[in-house]
Amino acid sequence: MKELALNEPGRTILAMGNDAVVRGGLEAGLGYFSTYPGTPASEIGEGYVSLKEEFPHIHAEFSVNEHVAAHGAQGASWAGVRSMTAMKHVGMNVAAEVLHFAAYTGVNAGFVVVIGSDPGATSSTSEQDDRWYSLHTHLPLLEPADIQEAKDFTKLAFGLSERYDLPVVLNAPSKLCHNIGSLSLGPLPAEFPSAGRFEKDPSRYINLFAGSVANHRRAMENAARLAAGAPSHGLNRVIPGTGPLGFISSSVNFLYLMEALAILGITDAPVMKLGMTYPLNTGEIAAFAKGLERIIIVEDLEGFLEFQIKSALYGAGVTVPIEGKSIFPPFGELDVDLIVRLLAERLKKPLPKAMSRSIELAAKHTADIPPRQGSFCIGCPHRATLYSVVKATGRNAVFAGDIGCYTLSCLPPFSAFDWVTCMNCGVGIGQGIRQVMKEGDMIAYVGDSTFFHSGVPGLINAIQQGASMVLMVLDNKWVAMTGHQPSPTTETDVDGRKLNPVDIKGLLKSIGIKYVRTVDPFNIKAATAAIKEALRQKEGVRVIIAEAECALQYGRRLRYEKPGYEVYYQIEPGICQKCDECYVHFGCPAIRRGEKGGAHYYYIEEASCLNCGACRDLCPNSAISRVEIKRGGKKEKAS
Amino acid sequence: MTRYDILICGIGGQGAISLGTVLKLAAIRDGLGVAGAERRGGAQREGVVTSNVRYFEGRGESVSGLIPAAGARMMIAMEPLEALRQALYLNEGSVVVVNDFPLAPVHVRIGQYEYPSRETIYARLQEFTPHLYAFNIDEMSLNHFGSLRQVNTISLGMAFALGNMPVSRDSLLGVIRDRFPDFEANRKAFELGIEAAGKAPPL
Ligand code: SF4
Ligand code: SF4
Repeated sequence: MKELALNEPGRTILAMGNDAVVRGGLEAGLGYFSTYPGTPASEIGEGYVSLKEEFPHIHAEFSVNEHVAAHGAQGASWAGVRSMTAMKHVGMNVAAEVLHFAAYTGVNAGFVVVIGSDPGATSSTSEQDDRWYSLHTHLPLLEPADIQEAKDFTKLAFGLSERYDLPVVLNAPSKLCHNIGSLSLGPLPAEFPSAGRFEKDPSRYINLFAGSVANHRRAMENAARLAAGAPSHGLNRVIPGTGPLGFISSSVNFLYLMEALAILGITDAPVMKLGMTYPLNTGEIAAFAKGLERIIIVEDLEGFLEFQIKSALYGAGVTVPIEGKSIFPPFGELDVDLIVRLLAERLKKPLPKAMSRSIELAAKHTADIPPRQGSFCIGCPHRATLYSVVKATGRNAVFAGDIGCYTLSCLPPFSAFDWVTCMNCGVGIGQGIRQVMKEGDMIAYVGDSTFFHSGVPGLINAIQQGASMVLMVLDNKWVAMTGHQPSPTTETDVDGRKLNPVDIKGLLKSIGIKYVRTVDPFNIKAATAAIKEALRQKEGVRVIIAEAECALQYGRRLRYEKPGYEVYYQIEPGICQKCDECYVHFGCPAIRRGEKGGAHYYYIEEASCLNCGACRDLCPNSAISRVEIKRGGKKEKAS
Repeated sequence: MTRYDILICGIGGQGAISLGTVLKLAAIRDGLGVAGAERRGGAQREGVVTSNVRYFEGRGESVSGLIPAAGARMMIAMEPLEALRQALYLNEGSVVVVNDFPLAPVHVRIGQYEYPSRETIYARLQEFTPHLYAFNIDEMSLNHFGSLRQVNTISLGMAFALGNMPVSRDSLLGVIRDRFPDFEANRKAFELGIEAAGKAPPL
């Protein structure tokens, strides 16, 4: 049995922050879960989907986007079943419309919204701080500091949600979602009530005119009730100290702060740890501030706590100097080292010797080393598609970028990708540019999942307005970047189960696109020719579907669907001209550079190669051969 | 022992995070507290990946997942350049086990940067700590097992032998037995790592 499903209270397991959230939902008797996958929150959905056997009564789905996911969870809660929706921070922008009504209507069973935030934009296009949303959605906000709290707070959130008639948001940064550490399990409920019914209640559900105003008022009163009750929920605590300088922090930054204080030898400072950062209980904070000469607030990004605390203390007539963003940057991600350094500077404390030695040495010895950027996987169809795009255009086009693994096309060796902001920024912004840019070519990219997320309206607009572009649909059959959740075009799950894929080509034709071609991206010559041909047609949106399954998923499938023969690709040393086309300009990581007798040569690392065949197709000197053998047989050259 | 921090660094696809998970699961078997932070670099392949493993005593205690500068007792580096990239976390007492098998990043391949020579990399690392051990673990794995699958278990054996870690050999082997398909080969790889480390003086 999977450890996350064990009903052994007190047992310690190893869990990722996201697993802990999953477990918190299980311990709370969750009945409905919906998500659109987004790093760093994706594994929450994977967790519930993978537990379908153990908890068959939980409805768990990957929804088409965050807006739909949030609506679904809201509906389940209205119908009396505990529900959760999870998304990455920017997903909140898509779900925001739904969630601005969620406090108005209230809940009929606990409704928890989990946000995976990303200070430092480690896997995102922005580092927006979603905590500010709560100031206008009036959704209470919990910020766990570690893996244990991620579980405990999730469970608690359901109770708070029901007690105060408000959905509750749990915000966890990537540095908690993806951390792996020990987690102590609590008991699972005996029953999971997952059958609900919808009770009509027009005063709550019909939001019109004066009724809407009344609901707004009730939402704010509920939040005020919760603020007043805050001290009794055990979410906030004070680490006592006798010094005149106090600290306030939340989330993982609390642990970083404690470690930083220990490193700097500051042992007498009182520290307030806030587990609930909206709504704040002014009295609790005023009591902490009393007698302090100065307060330093340690948090990521733009100072959500500082803004609220300054306003609350001013209103309560407490005057104490408060610093936060005057010390810590309002952008990027905090870590222990940064907190140590900035506090040392501000408080005029020396750094420990060993630390300053390493910092100095690192500045001297690591600043000039080559960076290591990510690239497409071995056998990735996007690499092949991008190679063909570069060949067909000579980079002489405007490249409308979008969000997915193919965002890596902005980096060398391809560098054929001109912007990335939010989901579906490719066609969306591209069609606007096209209305005013009369000359030249435009290539827009979109992946299968991104397209279904919110791409259809933008594309319909482009068609109606007659925008001219070639749209490359990079259909790799999975939401690959976030860890391979099924997309609407997934045909077969990795375990061999057949799914119900949406017919992209049929959909494109039905909305009025006349020019649709499907290509095999590994067939470089044919794909390049198809792109050139599409570029020659100047009118309207022409679509090329580059269809090939994500290499990682394909590789996984090979483990159980072994073909009766084995294939090898080899570079023939005598024929290879070392023209660099495969190693540099294509850059499959399975193609390696070796050295012998002072000269270099290229070879294919057999164990890593996925046999996509693209390199063989693109080698201008026909130096790469394909060898096919029967399983267990002798190698023979086929071509 | 109150704390013992291990930093694992490598490249996307090399298994740094799985190796970290083995070290963490062993701690749970031994009743130690464990925290960690994983950095995937947002990369599908070839990007920088690190796994922080932090052992601590006392179940009620909580530590953050991130190792501070100069905080690592042990570094397991799956590639020389990556060891240097994370050198900030080393101190004079840190033990470094590095797989002496350089892999050129994209920027080197396209000619924007030059890959520093081995001598440069190791000389710089030695300024941080004298306890530097480099082995061509890729070659060892190929020679003994005919594949690269055992590389990380060999390096685990080396780290275990050189690092005076708070987790037990039995627990590490127990985790390997539970997690890896070919236990015998991995047990041998682990022993091979211990043996090789025993013979090698630091660089
Ligand atoms: S593309 Fe062909 S000739 Fe050029 S380096 Fe690669 S194998 Fe050699
Ligand atoms: S066939 Fe060539 S391009 Fe494809 S995975 Fe193997 S080495 Fe890479």
